[in-house]
This record gives sequence, structure tokens and C-alpha cells, in this order.
Amino acid sequence: MTQRITIDPITRLEGHGKIEIFLDDAGNVANSYFQIPELRGFERFCVGRPIEEMPLITNRICGVCPEAHHMAASKAADMVYKVDPPRTGKMLRELLYSAFYCTDHTTHFYALGGPDFVMGPDAPVAERNILGVIHKVGLEIGGKVIQMRKYGHTVVEMLGGRKVHPCTSIPGGMTKGITEEQRKEIEEMGRWAIDFAHFSLKLFNDIVLGNKGYVDLILGDVYTHRTYYMGLVDENNKVNFYDGKVRVVDPNGKEFVKYAPKDYAEHIAEHVEPWTYLKFPYLKKVGWKGFVDGIDSGVYMATPLSRLNASDGMATPRAQEEYEKFYATLGGKPVHQRLAIHWARLIELLYAAERWVELATDSEITSADVHTRPTQTPTEGIGIVEAPRGTLTHHYWTDERGIVTKVNLIVGTTNNYAPIQMSTHKAATSLIKDGVVNEGLLNMVEMAFRAYDPCFGCATHSLPGQMPLEITIRDADGNPVKVLKQFC
Amino acid sequence: MKTLVIGLGNPILGDDGVGWKVAEEVKKQLPQDAPVDVDFLSLGGISLMEHLIGYERAILIDAFALDEPTGSILVLKLSDLPNYSAFHTTSTHDTSLQTAIELGKSMGAHLPADVEIVGIATGRIYDFSEELSAPVADAVPFAAHIVLDLLRQTIRS
Repeated sequence: MTQRITIDPITRLEGHGKIEIFLDDAGNVANSYFQIPELRGFERFCVGRPIEEMPLITNRICGVCPEAHHMAASKAADMVYKVDPPRTGKMLRELLYSAFYCTDHTTHFYALGGPDFVMGPDAPVAERNILGVIHKVGLEIGGKVIQMRKYGHTVVEMLGGRKVHPCTSIPGGMTKGITEEQRKEIEEMGRWAIDFAHFSLKLFNDIVLGNKGYVDLILGDVYTHRTYYMGLVDENNKVNFYDGKVRVVDPNGKEFVKYAPKDYAEHIAEHVEPWTYLKFPYLKKVGWKGFVDGIDSGVYMATPLSRLNASDGMATPRAQEEYEKFYATLGGKPVHQRLAIHWARLIELLYAAERWVELATDSEITSADVHTRPTQTPTEGIGIVEAPRGTLTHHYWTDERGIVTKVNLIVGTTNNYAPIQMSTHKAATSLIKDGVVNEGLLNMVEMAFRAYDPCFGCATHSLPGQMPLEITIRDADGNPVKVLKQFC
Repeated sequence: MKTLVIGLGNPILGDDGVGWKVAEEVKKQLPQDAPVDVDFLSLGGISLMEHLIGYERAILIDAFALDEPTGSILVLKLSDLPNYSAFHTTSTHDTSLQTAIELGKSMGAHLPADVEIVGIATGRIYDFSEELSAPVADAVPFAAHIVLDLLRQTIRS
């Protein structure tokens, strides 16, 4: 028997992860609901502003990935003006973005995802953080993480004009180029980043892949879903973070569709559930069949693992070697185990570092031709990039003066809301049997959604570093039988 | 004493931007030769810690979701906080500021011995706006006055 539930709208707006689990008469999981907050009014906030403001405003949506919004917004603004930036302008954007990726993926692995593995999923929560990693593995790691971040910030500041919220990518290209002296400095930092990415992959290899328990955890059924996968690819179907077409593969790894950003609305629809304000994107041509996996369900995932699954490889040589090792170790493509996202993230870190150096050593990177002046009447534009945590879509409509009349955004985490819901449900189902709640439930649920690197509150920053989480378990009559809390 | 004042928050998210407004007010009223830097950030965790490197004293101004009446002002030390409750001193994507400072110190970074916080009570914030609500806007001059009082000792020395 499944309980009918009503959730007060105020409850829905709790500023942290809240999961309600409903048990059936036998004490097993009937339903679970992972509720997350949603920010409102962004479209209303943007309408009436000049399109040129969008790359500056949208990068304030989120304190974590302003660079991703800056890039998607300026690409959409390019299309609004029907202007194609010069090659150097595009390369500078991608160079900035590659340095940002290195910073972001490093932070996630060492401060968020890594501690679960390095310290072990059963370690006390207070030890599962970056300090725990340093105490266990050595001080050297902390220094490298800080150095990697410093180099990433430096490149973003050099190219983006500001350390945190870049402002140089505008409709038609960039506002400024780089000097030969800056180029040399950027190249040097990029070469260090490649070594750091190798170091990180070796660490993963030694600590995680060298531990049978962890490998079993990754390959186990608890964190496995056979869904569709999405990612941007270049003309050779290789992973690209900044540009290309969106490719989707089915649960068997076969290409389902490849579309240009402008066609996204033909392929993506959004499902609404009564218990949350956030919508669940799905593949329109497959259809919404509920929170289920398989080839007949339109649920897809957009994460580092998805990008690898949706591509035919990496466009740089060393990352390609790691890509091949990844699939050889995990049994071929596609990989459905969600905890493998952590490993995929490190392969992307290496790709981003290699791409950083490739771009910094291109003979045209110091060209002064960084901007094409827009001359067309503005209308409508769509820009898609891969944010670290998923495919990011910006869609703007303007009047003939370039004043924004309508906005639609699909942010990275939103793509993954349905898979995250499925993963937390599966973790709960495996740890609650016949009314007995396994004490490891909080950790296992936390690991389930942490792999996705979700950005729940985008701009609020109000979610603490240690994810506050409250799980309420209710019996068949809807009465709470157990409440598990962490950091709240 | 090299001192940093940081307004934290998101300036396009209503009351969440109160830290910036207070920091702007502080900047306006500071004597020009005061050995104090004023910055405006939307960061937490390791990123925020990185901005504190090299300073002996830091004052953070931020919105707090509290049960106190909206617009109330709190003055406290970072070490007084539980390791999770402030808005911008933490971040879902890395770690808490306390942990980040410990990390920085263990790496040999020069960081303030303690960090002072001036918090302004707000409700939960979910709507984009450049405007502050009336009770929070009313608190801005008082909060700025408190920050300037806290700084006075530094400015004199």
C-alpha cells in the first residue's frame, strides 16, 4: 500500500536537501522524494535588459560556475546578433573555460567526491573532507590542490578580466587578447596542470582501483542505472566543453540523436511533478515514463560520465589513453555505474589541461583579431556549453533593439534531477528492508547524489559545505518512524 | 594590521546582497589612508579562504537565515559558528570556510587568526531582485556603523 502524500509548499522550499521516504505495510520502500529548492523570477529579472548584459548577469546566477553561464550567454548573444567570432576570439573563450574546468573538477574531486573514497564511505563524516585526505595521504596533496586552483584563477583573471565573474566575453568575441608574455605564462601553468591531472589519476588508480572493496562498490547495483547519456561533441564525436553538437546515446551506447544547439527544444521536454517546483527534463522523442531507466524511458544523464559515454573519445592524446583504460577496466561502453562519474571527472581534468596547452601554443592565440562587430538586427539566440555538472542551455529572445523579451535556461544539474531522484531512491531501497533501516543510509544516499556534483540552490550559496540532509522515513500510515539528520 | 572587509552575497538575489550594500557603505566612510581593503564576493569555502591569504584581520558581512526578526544584526567570530550555518562561509561545492582556513594554514598560508562576522538576519531567499526588503535595507547603515567601529582599533594602529 502506498500512502498518498501532500506536501506543503513551504516545506518544499526548504533550503537544503530533504528526502521523504514512504514505507509500505511490510516496511519496505514504497516511494521516496528528494526535494530541492528552486530560485524564482530570473526571467522576470532579465526581461527589459539589453542582451549585452546577459553574459554579466547570468554569471551571477551561480557562485560556483559563473564561467559556464558567461560562455553560454555570450554564445547565445552571438546568435542573437547572427555574428561569428573570429577564431582567436573563440580560442580565448575556450582557453579561459579549460582553466576553469581544471579548477572546478579539482575542487570537486579533492574536497567533495574524493574524500568518500580516500577516507572510505564508512569513515565518520567529520573526517570525510579535504583535511582528512591530507592527513591520510600527505601534505603534498593539499599544496598541489591550492596551486592548481591558483593557476586556474590566474588564467581566468588574465583572460576574463576578473578573478571570479569574468566580463570579457561579449557578442562577437572577446574584448581583449593576450600578449606573448602572457601566453608563455599561461602555457607554463597549463603544463603544470597536465602533470597535476596525471598525479590525480594515479592517486585514483592507487587508492580506489587498488582497493577491491571500492571497485565492488563502484560496480555494484546500488548506483547503477541504464539511462540515455548526453554531451557536446566536436566534428569527430570527441568530447568538447565549449562548442559542437549535442549527442545523445541510448542505454546500449548507440547514437540516438545528434543535434545543433538551436534545435534543443525539438528534443528536450520537461516533466512536472506535484511535489517539487523543479522540472524534470527528458528526451521528448522517447517520452516520460516515470523515474525508471531503460531504453523506453526518456530519462537521460548529463555529467562527466555522460560526456564520455556520449562521445567516441577524447580529442587529446593522454586523455584518450585514460579514456580507453576507463572502458577497458569497467567492461566497455556505456558505463552505467554512477560512482564512475568521479573517475570520468579526472579524465576530463586531464583533457582540460591538455586542451589548455594546445590552445596556449596555437600560433594565432596572440592575434589581435578577437572580436567581430555585430551589424545584424538582433532576434533570438541559443548557446550551449558543457558546464562541469551537465549540459547548459541559454535561450534568449529580443526585440529589434536587442532588449530581452524572453529567457529560458536549462542548467546543468536540472538535466540530472530525475537520475538523482532515481539514485537516492535506489540507495534507500537497498538499505531499508522489512522496516529495518541500515545506519549507513545517510552516507550511501549522500554518495548517490554527490557523484552528480549537483548545484541545487544555484545562486543562494546557502547550502553549507557539508551537505545538510534530512531523511524522514514514514510508515504506511504516513507517520514518521525515523528521522536521520546530518548538519541540520 | 593588514585588514580585509568582505561583503558577501549575490547582488541580484534580493536580501542576499545585503553584505555588498554594507561593504559599499563602509568603503564610502573609511578614511582614504586607512590600511583596510574592501572587497565584494559571492564565494564560500576554499575560494573565500584564498582571498583572505596575506591578511592579519578579516571582517565578513553576510546575510544569515535566522529566526531573529528580519534586519537584526549579529556580531560574532567565525570560531563561534557551528561548522555549517552561515550563508556564504560555506559552499556545496567545496568545504566550509573553517575547514578551508585549517587547510590553508596547514599549507603554510598566512591567514587571519580569527575572522569576525557581521550578519544581517534575512528570511530564506529565492527570488531574483536587485532591491533589499525594507527591514534589511534599514539595517544597512547600522551594520556599516558596527563594521567601522570594529575597524577603528585597526585604523588607529
